[in-house]
This record gives sequence, C-alpha cells and structure tokens, in this order.
Amino acid sequence: MQGVDKRFGGAIALKGADLSIRAGEIHALLGENGAGKSTMLKILAGVHVNDDGKIRLGQNDFITGSPQASINQGIAVIYQEPSLFLDLSLAENVFIGRQPKKGIAIDWDFAEQEAARLFNELGVQLDPKRPARGLSIADQQVVEIAKALSMNANIILMDEPTAALSASEVERLMTVMRSLRSANKAVIFVSHRLDEVFAISDHITVMRDGATVSESKTSTTDLQRVIREMVGRELTELYPKNEHPIGDVVLEVQALTNPAYFRNISFKVRAGEIVALAGLVGSGRSEVARAIFGVDQYETGTVKIKNINLKKGSPVDAMAKRIALVPEDRRQQGLFMAAGVNRNISMESFDQLKGKVFLNFKKERALTDIWRDKLSIKFVNQSDPVDRLSGGNQQKTVLAKWLATDPDFLIVDEPTRGIDVGTKSEVHRLIDKAAGEGKAILMISSELPEVLGMADRIIVMREGHQVAEFSRKEATQEKIIEAATTGKKGWSLGNHI
Amino acid sequence: MSVPTTEKSPKKARFTFTWDTSILLLLLTVCVLASLTTDNFLSSINISQIFSNSSEILIIGFALTFLIITGEIDLSVASMLALSSSLLGWSYANGAPIWLAILIALAVGTLCGFFNGFLVTKIGLGSLAVTIGTLALYRGIANGILGTNTVNEFPEFWTSFGFDTFGTTFIPQTLPVIILMGIGFALLLHNTPFGRRTLAIGLSPEAARFAGINVVRHKIIVFTFTGFMSGVAGVVYTFRFSTAQADNGVGLELLVISACLLGGVSIFGGIGTMWGVVAGVLLASSVESWLTLREINAQWRTIVTGLLLLISVAAPVLVGKYKAKAGKI
Amino acid sequence: MATIFKSRQISRETSLGIILIFSVGLTGLINPRFLTGDGTRDLLTSTATVALLAIGIAPIIIMRHIDLSIASTVGLSAWVIADFCAKNPGFTWVQCFIIGGIIGILVGALNGLLVAGLRLPSLVVTLGTLYIVRGAVYVVSNSVDYNAQEMPPSLLSLGQKVFFSVLPFPFLLVIIATIITAWYMKFTKPGRDCYAIGSNPNAADLVGLKVFRRTFLAFVFSGFMAGIGGVFYLMRFAQVDSTAFYGQELAVVAACVIGGVTILGGSGTVVGALIGALLVQTIQGGLAALGVDAFWKSAINGFLLIVAIFADRRLAARSERALLSQRIRERE
Repeated sequence: MQGVDKRFGGAIALKGADLSIRAGEIHALLGENGAGKSTMLKILAGVHVNDDGKIRLGQNDFITGSPQASINQGIAVIYQEPSLFLDLSLAENVFIGRQPKKGIAIDWDFAEQEAARLFNELGVQLDPKRPARGLSIADQQVVEIAKALSMNANIILMDEPTAALSASEVERLMTVMRSLRSANKAVIFVSHRLDEVFAISDHITVMRDGATVSESKTSTTDLQRVIREMVGRELTELYPKNEHPIGDVVLEVQALTNPAYFRNISFKVRAGEIVALAGLVGSGRSEVARAIFGVDQYETGTVKIKNINLKKGSPVDAMAKRIALVPEDRRQQGLFMAAGVNRNISMESFDQLKGKVFLNFKKERALTDIWRDKLSIKFVNQSDPVDRLSGGNQQKTVLAKWLATDPDFLIVDEPTRGIDVGTKSEVHRLIDKAAGEGKAILMISSELPEVLGMADRIIVMREGHQVAEFSRKEATQEKIIEAATTGKKGWSLGNHI
Repeated sequence: MSVPTTEKSPKKARFTFTWDTSILLLLLTVCVLASLTTDNFLSSINISQIFSNSSEILIIGFALTFLIITGEIDLSVASMLALSSSLLGWSYANGAPIWLAILIALAVGTLCGFFNGFLVTKIGLGSLAVTIGTLALYRGIANGILGTNTVNEFPEFWTSFGFDTFGTTFIPQTLPVIILMGIGFALLLHNTPFGRRTLAIGLSPEAARFAGINVVRHKIIVFTFTGFMSGVAGVVYTFRFSTAQADNGVGLELLVISACLLGGVSIFGGIGTMWGVVAGVLLASSVESWLTLREINAQWRTIVTGLLLLISVAAPVLVGKYKAKAGKI
Repeated sequence: MATIFKSRQISRETSLGIILIFSVGLTGLINPRFLTGDGTRDLLTSTATVALLAIGIAPIIIMRHIDLSIASTVGLSAWVIADFCAKNPGFTWVQCFIIGGIIGILVGALNGLLVAGLRLPSLVVTLGTLYIVRGAVYVVSNSVDYNAQEMPPSLLSLGQKVFFSVLPFPFLLVIIATIITAWYMKFTKPGRDCYAIGSNPNAADLVGLKVFRRTFLAFVFSGFMAGIGGVFYLMRFAQVDSTAFYGQELAVVAACVIGGVTILGGSGTVVGALIGALLVQTIQGGLAALGVDAFWKSAINGFLLIVAIFADRRLAARSERALLSQRIRERE
C-alpha cells in the first residue's frame, strides 16, 4: 500500500499530537471531549491552523489554513449534522459549486448521470433528481460522501458519523466505508461508540489532553486498554449502580398508541426503579417518552401518574404532576443555548423563585449555586451562555433544570450521548442517586453497556412495538439485540473486525 | 440601567448592556444639542408635544416589543389602528354612544390581532408575509367602511383629554397613563414568568416546547394583545386629532418597528428591554421635534428615521468587529 | 418514484398558469371586453411595472432576503429622470433608461453593501433605505411636479408602442427580462448559487460559495430593475410627483409569493413571479368589472397574499409528507 502519510506536531489546543494515516485504511480517532480530536480534524479541513509541528501529505508539505486548500489537496469532511441544500436535488447537492457545464450552460443531464453512478458505486439506491428535503440523516451522509468522491477526495474525515443512525443505517455506512477503503481512500473517523470502532477500524489513535497517547492496530488492542488510554485511569466502576428499595407504581402506561410511531405500549415504573427502554434508533422510544410528557400527541391509551390520569398533549399538566423529561437533543430541545446557565437552570422553577407576581433574582442566583455544587457543573459566571460549556456540563445543566423541580418520575433520553467517559460516569451516578431518592426513572438509551449497567428492568422496542422485557439478572447483550432486531445478529458488540 | 434579560456572547453581553446606555446617551445628546440650537426645544409646550406625538408609537411599541422578542413581527399594526379609528368614527357617527364606539374600536383591534396570531400559529404561515397581507386587508376594510369620508365630531371630554395638560404645567394628561403602562410592561417583561417565557420562545421555540411552554397559546396571546394595543392607539389617535379616517397612521408600523429596533430589540428574537424601546421612541420623536423647530423640511424626518434604523442594526456589528480586532492586538 | 420531485416542480408553475387562464376566462365572462385585444393590452400595460419589479426581487426572496425599498426607488428614479428631461429638452429615451438604471444600481448597491457586507438583516436594512429614499424624493423634489410636456416625446411614444396590437413595448421588455433571468437562474452557477444560499445559508458558506458577491449583486439587480421601473412609470403616466408609486412594495412581494417564490427561500422561479403578477392584476380587473369599489383594492391584495401563502404551505407540507412516506417505504 502506497503511503499517504500525515504527521502532526503541536498547537495550543494540541501539544505534540501525532497522527499517521495510510491510504486504504479506516482509522479511528478516540479521546474524551476536549482531548483534541476535533481540532485535529479541523486543521486537516483547513478551518484551523496549527502553530507548530509538521504536516506532510505524501512527499509534500500539507497546506493548511483554508477549506479550499484542503479540498484541493483531496480532503473531504463529513460533519455530524450533514448540511445539504434541502431545496436542491441530490445531483445538484453533489455538484454544488462545481456544476458540470456544456458551453456556458449547466449540463444537468451529465450531473444526474454522474450522481447516479456515484450512488451506485457506494451501493446505495437514491434518485439524483429528487430534492434533498425529507432524506434521512443516513441518506444525507451518503450524498455527502458521494460529493466527496466527486471531488476526488482521497482522505475522508468523519466526525461522529453514527451518532444519529439506526443499526441498519450504521451497517450501510460501514459498507460504504469498506468500499472507500477498497478504493484506496483513507477514512479518519471520530467516534464515542467504542463497539463500532472495534468493528470497523484498522487502526486506532487515542488522544488525551491534546496529545497522542497511543497508536495501535485495532486487532492488537482491546476495549479496556483503549478506555484506560483515553481516561488515564482505570475505570473499574463504569456503572455505579446500587440496589435501591423499590416502592409503589409511579407511572403506568397502558396501550399507548400513535399509529405513526408506536403501538400498544404498556408498562409500569416504580419508585426507586430504573427502567431502561432499549432498541434501535427509530424504534419509537423517544416518541413514547415525548407522548408521555405531552410534547407529542398520542391517539389511544392512557398514562397514569400515581394513579391519576395524565392529560394528553399537555406538558403543563405533566409538570404539574411532577414528571420531567430530559430530551434527546440537548442543544435544540433541552437548553436555550444563548441564555445563561442561571436562566436555563431556573426555567422550570419559577414557582420557587417568585414572590406573589415577580421573580426574585437573588433566589435565582442561590438556586444556580446549589445545583452547580450538587452536580459539579463547571462554568465561570452564572450568566455565561451555556453555549460555551462542554457537552458534559451542558447535559448536567439540563439535568439540574429538571431535578430542581423534584419530579416523581424522570425520563432521561440518551443521557450520555456525545459525552466523554469521565462525565458519563458522573451522570450515571446522578441517575442512580435520583433513584435512591425514590424517583421512578425511565432511561432511553442506545448504548447497551449503559442499559445493562444501570437498569433494573429492560424493555425492548422494535419498530414501534414492545417486544421483550428482561430483568437485570436475566438480561444479556445478545438477548437484547436479538429482541431489538428481529433475531438477526447483524449488529453485535462481540465481533471484532 | 436595567439588567439585560439575556446575553449572547460576553462581547455582546457587554454591548447589550451598553446599548441601552448608548441609546439614553444619544437621547440626552440630541436633547442638549436641540436645546442649544433652538429656542424652544425645552419649553413645556414642546416637551408636551414630544410626548404626545410619541403616544401611539409607545402604546403599540409596548406590545410589539413582546412580539418581536418571540421572533415574530407584525406589519399590520398601523392598519389595525386605522381600522379601529374608522370603526370608532363610523359607529359614533351612526348614533352609537361614545363608550360603545370606543369598545367597538378596541374589540376590532383585538379581533384583528387574534386573526393575525391565528394565521401565524395555527395555520403556520410566516408572520412577515402574513402581516404584509393583513396590513393591506385591514386598511382595505377601513377604506371600504369610510371611503374618503372622515368623522370629526367627537365629545369634548375625550378630545381634550388627549390634548390637554395638567393645569398650567407642560405635563400632558396622557403622560402618567403612559408612564404607568411603561413601568407595568417593563416589569412584565423582565420580572415575571410570562416575560421569561416570551424570551425563551424567542431564543429557541423548540426548547421552549420541551420546557413545557405552550408556544402557540403564548404567541396568540401576544398577537392578540398587539391588536388590542393597536386599537387603543387608534382610539387615542382619533381623539388627539379629532379625526377618524381610513388613512390614519399610514406608515406608522415602520416607525414603531424602527423605534423598537433602535431600542435594542433584536429582530431575531430573544433579546430586548422595555427601557430601550422607550428611549428609542423618545429619540425618534425628539429628532423630529428638533427638525420641526429648525424649520427643516419635515420630510427630512423620514430620512433621519431611516438612518437611525440602519445605525441601530449596523452599530452592534461594527462595534463587535472593532472589539474583535482590538482584542487580537 | 423519481418523478415526485419533477411533478411538484411542474405542478407549481403549470397550476399557476392554469389558474391564470381560468381567471382570465372568468373575468372575460363578467366583462367581455377583457378578452379583446384592447383588454389584453390594458392588462399587460397595467402589469408591466409590478411584473418587472417582481422579476427583480425574485432572486432576493429566493436567497431568503427581502427588498422593501423597491417602490421608493421607482419613485426616486421616475422623478429624477423627469427632472433631467425637463431641464434638458433634448433628452432621448435611451438616456432616460440609463439614468434610471444608474439610480437603481446605486440604491441597490447601498442595500447590498449593508446586507451582504455587514450581514445585517435585509428586512431592517431595506426598511431603512425605504425611508431614506422616500424622504430623499420629497426633499429633492421639493413638491415640484412634472407632466407630459416635459417628457421627451420619444419616450412617450415608446410607451405607447404596441406590437401585434396586444403587446405593449414595456411588457415586451418584461418578457425579455424574464427569459434572460430565468435562463440565468437555471443554467448558470451564480444563478444556482442563489438557490443554495437561500436553502441553507450556513452550508453555502461552508461549501465556499461566494455569498457576498451573490447577495450584493442580487440587491444591485433588484435596484436596477426598480430604476428601470421608474422609466416604465413615466412611460405609462407621463407625469410624476413626489408620491409616485407610493406603497406598492407589498404588491410586488405578493406577486412573487403568489407566483411560488416562497418567503422561506430556496425555491420558486422568475416565471412564477411573472405569472403571479399577471394573476393579481387579472383578479383585480375581474373584481373591478364586478363593480367592486376601488377602495377594496388593497384589501383584496392582502387577501390574495394570505391565500397564496396558505396554498404554498399546504403544497409544501403535502410534498414533504410524500417524500417522507417514500423514505419509509424505501426503508422497508
């Protein structure tokens, strides 16, 4: 294999970071939040410039500093949220800015044919004439990859590509990555999903605190070692779970149905219990949670909290009856990014803050301090916009907001998505503590280790149906996956490469 | 100065804080300059005029501020004013007792505001385009009702209330009312859950949904209220000028929006203070007064309003860039 | 499967065309004169200016901006041209067009600099320039009016010229402008960039599209068309005062929205804008023929706009649902 070689030196956010990529390989870049992985990618993408060190592409020096230069040198970036032009056709998206011409006019026929050919090459069925609107995220990613190929990219950077994909879409993406590899392209991807990393990558580079800690062939390393390298310490207690006395039924859902998303969902959650709702992305779990909380509607069925019927579609009623929902997308749904930490935390707690009519700012300050200490949220000023906090601290802010309402029933939807390992365990400890205080907890998660580590009971959903339930003792990864995927063993943690 | 309700980046946060003070400073500067270059600027009559001329803009502005903060806009406010005014005149001229006519005017304003809100929230149409449409629709209806007629006869009590001052002072009788309204609305925006929710919706409608805020209901309330206040402004306008006609207030919507933007309300939503809006309105009116006293062509006012508007949006950006460059040195 | 996109695209302009033919027919039933050569000529004459402006503003709306200053620019242009003509009796129509164009370009450049350069919201900026230009007209004109005697006869006769006894010269210009602009928007990179910028401004930046240039030029174009609109105004009315074309900006926006150029940006065509302008004029003509008071004119405009937006949203929701269900089917 010909060497497409890149080596970095240091920068301010990076200190002596190295990275070596070869053509025709899939290379995973791991590390906690803030370890410097994104910075590395951004330097390659031309968004940032390194202050020190060398970057070489093949025999030549790599030109940094402009996205255009990176594109010219064969680099393509696929961001976590693909940003296509939804009103334009797929073909046009692939050729955006570089539409093929016939004379002075754009040659639409050629563009559509080429796009179709690229989609074919990637093994995907997409119609180049259709608008990008309505495309799933997975499909949008494929279009982006096709675009990269049409630009003759040799190195494809992917930032958390699988964060929002269902299992079958992940599989398809892996197929695409493999076909890129066979075409002698190099793929660098950043991911927090360690199981997928071990499933697909050839090499792993681990970074920590801005420096490279290790670089190894995937076949010669293992999960425990990689985690240790990322965190710098042994994480024996990944899932700090304690047994809690389980009390009465707090939440009871019966025959809940919304034909577009889920049917006939029934379960109970008791005080002190952590019930996990497992399943693939797209199985309808978040929709169930939102329907319970009232943000979304449902058609038939009932939701009872402490034996009282909950009003359909009324978050106000849910909140009044002490239900809280920590949503899936903390940036769009859980937080007001431009507002300060204090405003975010106090958002649901106006009753606590007000006198007769008016809000008391001193009480707000005190409230923020209390929760900052309780959850160890790191920020400088209370009025700092939460935009500037790290992902982990943002998630803690959302938790603080809802815990401040002292709910009886708490739903957490993907509580540790996109968070580094260290903060993850903090969040888990908090959830466990909440259970210990007698709250009933429904946890939605796509990360099996988390599910197995934290839950007292696991309910599995598939394609909108409730298909299985396991107690903590009897649950295994295989059983859950089998239930979640119709018995097909397409996506398993145990398989490496 | 009042604490800003929300902050963006620290640069902008400091600037938002300074923006309110800048507007006040600008207002003071204009007043000083005006009093130096004219004889009568600080006279009681003139100050009274300034406040009077600001009445409708302030009244509508109080409500429109909330609306812009939620991220919407309403270009039909002047038309609602005209429609209310027309119906006030028409009902009174056709025999209704004055109190009934006033009620009708207010009801019409409220209804129109509600209709705006309904179209925007329940049907999901963009507020810019919709209120461009209702702007034409409402004024058109006013035209249809009154045509080119005007109604000029109104009970003395009402017309003089709008016009007179307390005893021999320069304080217009309407002033305490407006001040009270201003204080009330400022408190509403900055110190109550309702105000917080308004700001939240402007910052992120989706997060507001998940925070249990009924965004649709909130917006309809704000739209309806804007309509109501437009109706109030219509009544005030009619009595101030003793004229009800379909042409009342043409172009006023731009004045109100300009004043709000001048006062630091962000067109994107989520940011704004009531004191800023008051300062913005007074600033625009003071400039007009200054120009009138200097006998400069009244149409220069339009040019100046336009310039002020451009400055109000350009200044934060320019200052931000300057600060960024300065920071890098 | 593939045709959903095509069919939605076709159906928008075609359905508009069908509605237009239907409205023309309906109006013709009420007022048979409408369908004659004279009637058609009148329709086209009265639509010309609004149509021209609609074509000019369409790229801007597609880019998710707006230009509220166009009507004021028409007024300014008309008055200044008249002023020149009055003071220079030897003026030709060519020079009129040139002056109009220059004035329009200047205003457009100002808008463009502020919106594209400083990234200020176009609503606010063009609101400001609307005020400034309107005020400038009043101040510069100082209440002086001009009428037919001061206009160059060549200009006026051009305004009267009619081809095939139905097609007035101004509307011929409109058609030419439509063809050129439509081709540009569909078959050149800068034209396509406008759609991209309107569809996803952030991504447009990331992909390296020349956002500043496109935005700036779009405003210059819109201003230019408004400047030419001033010439149209003179050709049609042969007189001008300081309130020329006052308040017509909304009619132009309405024509565009009705024509399928959504306020949300990213879609719509210049042809649609033209049809929209014709449609608005036809409906007005029809209602006037029905004896509806002219006073209700603006109310009708407003109502039409609301209906147009409503229909637009319904169509968008329906096609989005169709695309989504197609996706669900593909998944299975």
